[in-house]
Amino acid sequence: MTPVVRVRAVTKSFGGAAALKGVDLDLYPGEIHALMGMNGAGKSTLVQILSGVHQADGGTIEVDGQAQHGLTVRRARRLGIASVPQRRELAMGLTVAENVLLGDLPTRGRTVHWKTVREEARRALSSLGIDIDVERTAGSLTVAEQTIVEVAREVRRGGRILILDEPTACLSARDANRVRALVRTLRDEGVAVVYISHYIDEVMAVADRLTVLRDGTVVRTAPAADLDPAALVRAMTGRDVVSRRAERPTPKDEIGLSVRGLCDGRAVRDFSVEVRKGEIVAVLGPAGDAQSRLFDLLSGRRRPESGELRVDGTPVPFGRIPASLAGGLRCVTGDRRTLGLIPGLSVDENLMLAGDRFTRRRLHRARDLARRAAPLRHTYGVVSLAGNPPVGALSGGNQQKVLLAKWLQTEPVACFLEDPTNGVDIAAMADIHALVDDLAARGTAVLLASSSAEEVVRLADRVLVVSAGRTVAEHAVTDITRDELVATALGGQPQ
Amino acid sequence: MSVKTLPEAPAVTDPPRRRFTPRGVPHAGLIAVLAVVVVFTAVRSDTFATDRNILNILGQISVNAVLAAGLTLLMTAGGMDFSMGSNVAVTAAVAARLIAHGHATPYAVVVALLLGTAIGLVNGLVVTFTNVAPFVVTLASATLLDGVALLVHDGNTLSVGQHLFTFGNDKVLGVPYLLVVAVLVLLATGLAMRFTVFGRDAFAIGGNEHVARLSGIDVTARKLTLYGLTGLLSGLAGVMLLARLGSSSPGSTAGLSLQLAVVAAVVIGGTSLAGGHGTVIGTALGLVLLGVVANALNLLDFSSNYQPVSVGAVLLVAAVANEMHKARSARR
Repeated sequence: MTPVVRVRAVTKSFGGAAALKGVDLDLYPGEIHALMGMNGAGKSTLVQILSGVHQADGGTIEVDGQAQHGLTVRRARRLGIASVPQRRELAMGLTVAENVLLGDLPTRGRTVHWKTVREEARRALSSLGIDIDVERTAGSLTVAEQTIVEVAREVRRGGRILILDEPTACLSARDANRVRALVRTLRDEGVAVVYISHYIDEVMAVADRLTVLRDGTVVRTAPAADLDPAALVRAMTGRDVVSRRAERPTPKDEIGLSVRGLCDGRAVRDFSVEVRKGEIVAVLGPAGDAQSRLFDLLSGRRRPESGELRVDGTPVPFGRIPASLAGGLRCVTGDRRTLGLIPGLSVDENLMLAGDRFTRRRLHRARDLARRAAPLRHTYGVVSLAGNPPVGALSGGNQQKVLLAKWLQTEPVACFLEDPTNGVDIAAMADIHALVDDLAARGTAVLLASSSAEEVVRLADRVLVVSAGRTVAEHAVTDITRDELVATALGGQPQ
Repeated sequence: MSVKTLPEAPAVTDPPRRRFTPRGVPHAGLIAVLAVVVVFTAVRSDTFATDRNILNILGQISVNAVLAAGLTLLMTAGGMDFSMGSNVAVTAAVAARLIAHGHATPYAVVVALLLGTAIGLVNGLVVTFTNVAPFVVTLASATLLDGVALLVHDGNTLSVGQHLFTFGNDKVLGVPYLLVVAVLVLLATGLAMRFTVFGRDAFAIGGNEHVARLSGIDVTARKLTLYGLTGLLSGLAGVMLLARLGSSSPGSTAGLSLQLAVVAAVVIGGTSLAGGHGTVIGTALGLVLLGVVANALNLLDFSSNYQPVSVGAVLLVAAVANEMHKARSARR
């Protein structure tokens, strides 16, 4: 069989820094080809070159055996190369039908023929085995459904080389399964699917072949069956990532953080937890369940219907951000894009954003700021290429470290962490786990909200499993295996 | 404790350094356009490059400069005040009326400043405690205030005679008082934006209000202060305008038309309408560019009807240039 896309020795550098150093890639019709690699390995650059966003500095790209020079977004699209980015790009106010046929609405005379729109959209969806009402607005769909609609749109437009960037990130197991089922359907229809994902288990389950990138070069291309997860991790990192449970001092007897009878609509029902100083307690649940409401409630962004919060024995009123902060509680969001960092401000300013406000500084000097931020960068392992760029220019892992440093440097009494390793590569994940261990070892009460069973087993002393807003189980983490935990949470992790 | 992602990667990076490549010069496009206009006009007209004319240009933009300084800070924080020009109309009218009725000049000035601040605070209160967009709130208050100014005039031009004449027309060391005030306000705003936490808070709020709030910034108080400040500066601008013209007349140069010129200057200077980005230097360049263009049209004997045409054209060109520059620097 001949490859539909053949990439040979492609190079690309940005301002002197080589992002790709001679990459080869073959894509065959009817295969799911997973692209693996850590943040900054060159996955995005490669994908952007394929879809015409960037032009390669050297090397060749052939589509159907024809060499393509100067591939632009429009040319790529005409050749059938479509990409579905991580962030959804649907017109949220329009219906599913309109979104599927966007730019190609059937008309009669000069007016839109709505009946045909709906029929065509229905046909496009059902041919892929999708069951979504085409008259709903895109904004009312779940994230998984939005992804599915977006994929359907690209396929209808003639996409036969489909690039999916982390299509299951932040999805519950059931939703992730729906997306994966769709991907398999596409493969059976003869589409070449490029699948980017951080979840190793998922990739092993779904991919036919794998290409692993590291530092801009291909480390390995092989059928998925030839690799096991450990080998894959080694290929991605170039070393065995050690992120095993660390020994920590026994927690103190004092209660650092206590939540009692927290209720908020149907999402959180009578949630209670006590965290001792130096202890890490995890709240595990399917993505979007009670644990994902805790950030808003504990940080003071949202006032719950009822409940009581004590930090270090002192009652802290709900619903007021300054009160939460003054009480010594630090809440670190899992959504660093919208609630964590200010992308336009520099790394140093973001690092000191909260700390400088607590110490009630009045003056701001860049050099002084850099001096104060330098130890934080060092301690938290924030690496930036050039000086002090806007934080938005950093890789996901580094952004996450900036976010953690911003909050943990303020020596909190109690700390709430929400998915601290969301969307970061494996090495950064190990670093962040070490940071959280260290935080607890210094005597902070840590409440961890997570939808990843592995992370919970790695970090927590105790775990509360929530489902449909209620606490359904509580275990010391040593009493339960990862698989049992996943079973209790009912598919907490895409699998 | 120390954590490193990669053993060979430097944990602490080089100290920040500025690169002065031609593309890296801030406002390069704006400076280039300004240079072209200046050179063109200087070649065609002998009077342009005289001290007298240059002081004249700068004197004319002084009032706008005071307003634009406040608006730059507010827009950087993601806010918008469309009522500053109308605030000027009202405060100028009230001050003129007080002076015309025989009140002491300092009294009238203080009332004007307080009135301006109060108007700004009302805008701020509505913006912070309702979810109505600042654009809508201040557009409404602008229209309302334009009407109030007409009511205060009651159809008459209010002259202040020789009161405030010194402030409006005299010079210190060859520089008009009004220009001195304008430069001081611009300088203070620029320094505040760069070197105070108050100024950085504006960037943080404009960049991402949620994050600013969660980081312990009192966003509500900051916004109220900013709207109060634009109000205060509007009051100041009202007094300056009154001093320069010596009278306040109904349907005068203040109001929405003044506001549009100020917004144009700020936007030409590259301050983002969405917030999170802005510089006083850019605003100053925008003010000078608009002033020079107006002056050039005058010297080159164009009808004054071309004035709004030129402002609109310059605004459009500058906005497009800013967008292109942003797109290019994002791609690098």
